[in-house]
Amino acid sequence: MKYYVRAELLKKSFPSHDRSSGEYVVFENLSLGLKKGEFTTCIGHSGCGKSTILNIFAGLEKPTQGGSFVGNRSIDRPGLDRAVVFQNHSLLPWLSTLKNVMFAVRARWPEWSGAEVEKHSRRYLKLVGLEGSVSRKPFQLSGGMRQRVGIARAFAIKADLLLMDEPFGALDALTRGVIQDELIRLWSKTDQTVFMITHDIDEAILLSDRILLMTNGPKATVAESVVIDIPRPRDRATIIHHPNYYPIRNHLVEFLVKRSKQLSPEAGTDSCSADQVKDKPSLIFPPEVRPQQETTTSVPEAAH
Amino acid sequence: MNLTNDPFDPNIDLWNECGERSQSEEAAPTSIADFVISPKEKETQAFLSKRKFATGDPGSVTQRALENSVMKGIFGDDLSRRRFLKAVGASTAYTAISSLIPFHSLQAMVDDAMKKIEKKDLKIGFVPITCATPIIGGHALDFFKKYGLNVDIIKTAGWAVARDKCMNGEYDASHLLAPMPAAMSLGLGSASQDWRMVTNVNTNGQAIVLANKHKDKNDPKLWKGFKFGVPFEYSMHNLLLRLYVAEHGIDPDKDIQIRVIPPPEMVANLRAENVDGYLAPDPFNQRAVYDGVGFIHKLTKDIWDQHPCCCFGISQKFIDENPNTFIVLLTAILDATNTVELRQNRVAFAEAMSPRNYLNQPSAVLKQILTGIYPDGLGNIKNVPDRISFMPYPAQSMGVWILSQMKRWGYISKDIDFKSASDEIFLSTETESAMKAMSEKNRNVKWSDIPASKYPVYDVYGKEFDPGKVIEYIDSFEIKRS
Amino acid sequence: MNVQFRLKAAVLSALMFIVFVVLWHGLTFQQSHETEGIPLTSEQSALLKASGMSESDMQAYAAKGLVFEQIQQIAGLGLSSADIDAAGGIESFGFTTGGAAEEAKTGFPSPSLVWEEAYEQIRDPFYDKGPNDKGIGIQLKYSLLRVGAGFLLAVLVSIPAGFLIGMSPLVNLAFTPFVQILKPISPLAWLPVALYIIKDSEKASIFVIFVCSIWPMLLNTAFGVASVKRDYINIARTLELSKFRTALTVILPAAAPTIFTGMKISIGIAWLVIVAAEMVIGGIGMGYFVWNEWNGLNLASMIFAIFVIGIVGLLLDFVIGRLIAVTDYKE
Repeated sequence: MKYYVRAELLKKSFPSHDRSSGEYVVFENLSLGLKKGEFTTCIGHSGCGKSTILNIFAGLEKPTQGGSFVGNRSIDRPGLDRAVVFQNHSLLPWLSTLKNVMFAVRARWPEWSGAEVEKHSRRYLKLVGLEGSVSRKPFQLSGGMRQRVGIARAFAIKADLLLMDEPFGALDALTRGVIQDELIRLWSKTDQTVFMITHDIDEAILLSDRILLMTNGPKATVAESVVIDIPRPRDRATIIHHPNYYPIRNHLVEFLVKRSKQLSPEAGTDSCSADQVKDKPSLIFPPEVRPQQETTTSVPEAAH
Repeated sequence: MNLTNDPFDPNIDLWNECGERSQSEEAAPTSIADFVISPKEKETQAFLSKRKFATGDPGSVTQRALENSVMKGIFGDDLSRRRFLKAVGASTAYTAISSLIPFHSLQAMVDDAMKKIEKKDLKIGFVPITCATPIIGGHALDFFKKYGLNVDIIKTAGWAVARDKCMNGEYDASHLLAPMPAAMSLGLGSASQDWRMVTNVNTNGQAIVLANKHKDKNDPKLWKGFKFGVPFEYSMHNLLLRLYVAEHGIDPDKDIQIRVIPPPEMVANLRAENVDGYLAPDPFNQRAVYDGVGFIHKLTKDIWDQHPCCCFGISQKFIDENPNTFIVLLTAILDATNTVELRQNRVAFAEAMSPRNYLNQPSAVLKQILTGIYPDGLGNIKNVPDRISFMPYPAQSMGVWILSQMKRWGYISKDIDFKSASDEIFLSTETESAMKAMSEKNRNVKWSDIPASKYPVYDVYGKEFDPGKVIEYIDSFEIKRS
Repeated sequence: MNVQFRLKAAVLSALMFIVFVVLWHGLTFQQSHETEGIPLTSEQSALLKASGMSESDMQAYAAKGLVFEQIQQIAGLGLSSADIDAAGGIESFGFTTGGAAEEAKTGFPSPSLVWEEAYEQIRDPFYDKGPNDKGIGIQLKYSLLRVGAGFLLAVLVSIPAGFLIGMSPLVNLAFTPFVQILKPISPLAWLPVALYIIKDSEKASIFVIFVCSIWPMLLNTAFGVASVKRDYINIARTLELSKFRTALTVILPAAAPTIFTGMKISIGIAWLVIVAAEMVIGGIGMGYFVWNEWNGLNLASMIFAIFVIGIVGLLLDFVIGRLIAVTDYKE
């Protein structure tokens, strides 16, 4: 199987407050895959269930139906092989910056001595440029600094899969740019697989190898997997001059503005996985799309 | 040591702690002659059984203890004692020995007991009122030390707590209200545990106090709707107040309200007008006058002269486990009681009890109470030397009277045998022996209160109380609950 | 907070206290009455003499300010002045100067009287004059030991129980009726019951402290634990921490300020209750001290004791307040 991390035929539903409709289905028969070492982002409108998918990968939530896997292992609980950077940074407020990272490192390698734990933690804090703020408490840090601690903590435990739920959502544009660069630098030194949720198209293009596009909920699905054919290292100043940049961007915008609605089963149109059988859905991963200069034709399942 | 063994019985082993009948001397009968009871033996049996049932009560613990120690002293070992008794017969032996030794020297018994004190460190509870003068003053003036006892006296906040601490075993003995040992033994208002009324620590000494605003209401008939405080339900205060108002046609359960208020809180409640008056122990009667909030309407001595009030209470368990300590402790209390009864000693006691460790009261108030020279709050100075008295003898009649009133007001619902209940709870015999022992040691020690009979007849508020006619006495009252 | 601002508040506090003391002084101030002798007429002297009073005694009484009728009453008792002195002296009989001096003696004590009393007590706080008269320091020690023991027991029970209730909605619901019924019971109502069951007044008073301090801590712990942010728990879950380690390293520090706030409420109540309990049980402790002074109707001493109780309460509150400050965190 070419996907290292997979979600297969996931369904998430809640009992509806409105008795007549029975249940509220966030998504159904949703499948997606992440390739090992790739940086994948997921874009979609609010309420389509992006965060739910991320939490299912993290093991923090359970799907109503379907399963998710890392390699051959089924995900049924949180684990140290998956690190999470939460939307609201989620540092333990009573611990200093260093202690917050050490807290995770110690959990990852309980056999390490205190000195080893501290050395390791300090190294990662230095990587995100926080070596000067190790003894500060989270409330003494700016939003950007807090998120860096969260990133340092996630990278420090050297998880196979890094899950990031809108990590830069609350930051101003300038700070966001700096941290994005740091994130890529950190990631490029490792072979970690990253799954990130964002609302920001430019951020997604800059960071990702692939972008998963989700249709609107309820009953959302992943409509397509857009491959970003822009070589790394990418630079935020020059990337817009790359010939593929605007075709990709336009494709994404068009999807978010128009197609995400049309493709939604609620809108009456058939979903992307149209050929599924009602009672026995087959496992179909979202088709890959490569928006390029001049030709914007989709090349499903293109050879790599 | 089992003190109930008769030392003149040749068939017991006096040295044996359990007092078991000895087997060694009574070998199995070997001939017909052995089954024939000799005249001497017959005489001995008669003598012993007479001693057992004699009115002089030879079964008294103290008397027996004394005789035991004397016999042991004479014979040195049990074999010779028994041989002698068998040879001459018990009654002859008794006459012979008592002519040689002053058997009535009860003091020997006390001296003997002092050598064998089982428990030297004792905790005795007291409620800080002048009734407890023999205990408090006794402690302050080292009466316990004099008898080789190391006593701590512990101040107790109220009677319910005193009772609970007694029953918990926190106190070895305690100052209690006279009806309390009976209530505790009968299980009224608490679990039942055998407690004994050993001595009166005081007689008289209480008063009815009214708030100053009632200065014009000296007639109890005007008291309808009044609220009165008493220190405890099972108290002479409650019983005397009930008797007094009922004699004036006021029903204590319907026409007035009687509340239980711990003695120290009496004055504060009177000042706050929570009560119109109270029948309480001193110093809180005199203190109300001293603080200008009330006046003394009537001393209880004018209701029943030499009535019991508070007692020295001790558990049967303690007596059983520490018979010698009990005798010594009783003697120490009696000594203090006798000393404070003498007028010339009263000021010294008042001063000794004034500090914070004891009554925590101005010495002037205590002196007024103990000397009986006091202002009554109505502008008069009174001179009543027996305002409070210290007559220790716990006459059985007192117990019967208390039980009769408890029956009258419905505290005791079942029918009881008044005399036997009082007999068991009021230790008059033991106390009388100890009192006599003191008189023997010191000719100056005189007791005016030992009656000719254990069941004296009293005049209680103008009505004769004959302990032999309890039911008639109860029935003679118009206001009653039973 | 700004130093100058604090200083201003302190000055204002001091000012209020001074006004309070001055008012108190003004309200309790009593002019000392000089007793003035009223000379007896020769007729009166003769009358008194006839009833057996000595010349020197009647002059002495007159010099103390007694009027003729009063002296006549004393004469009627047939008591010598030595007898009267043995009974505490004529001054204590309540009619020396028409009752005014009496008022001053037993009225509400002035601040200076309270201070004198306080000074006496503070000068030698650890004296021991027998089981019923010990220095304020010893009394305080016993009260604090009882509060400490009862409070510690309550901590040992209520914090684990609070965790259980806070972490499990099921246990929470099951416990609620008991907590709601037991919580509003005045701890003093337990005292007779405890005394009966435990049969030891010392342990009974510790039990009462235990009972009164358990509820605020239990409820606050349960609330603190239940309202720990989901995110913090999620961090622990992603790090595969055991339930025990999660409770210890995440939930405990997160809920600590709430738990300590519960402790602060508890220790305040415990301190209130121990004084009341000791007043009932007696023996030793601040409550006993107050009760003993009440028993002697010694208001000055009681007011001093009230101040001491207040100040110790303040200190206890301050100590737990520091613990809250240390464990508190900003998000």
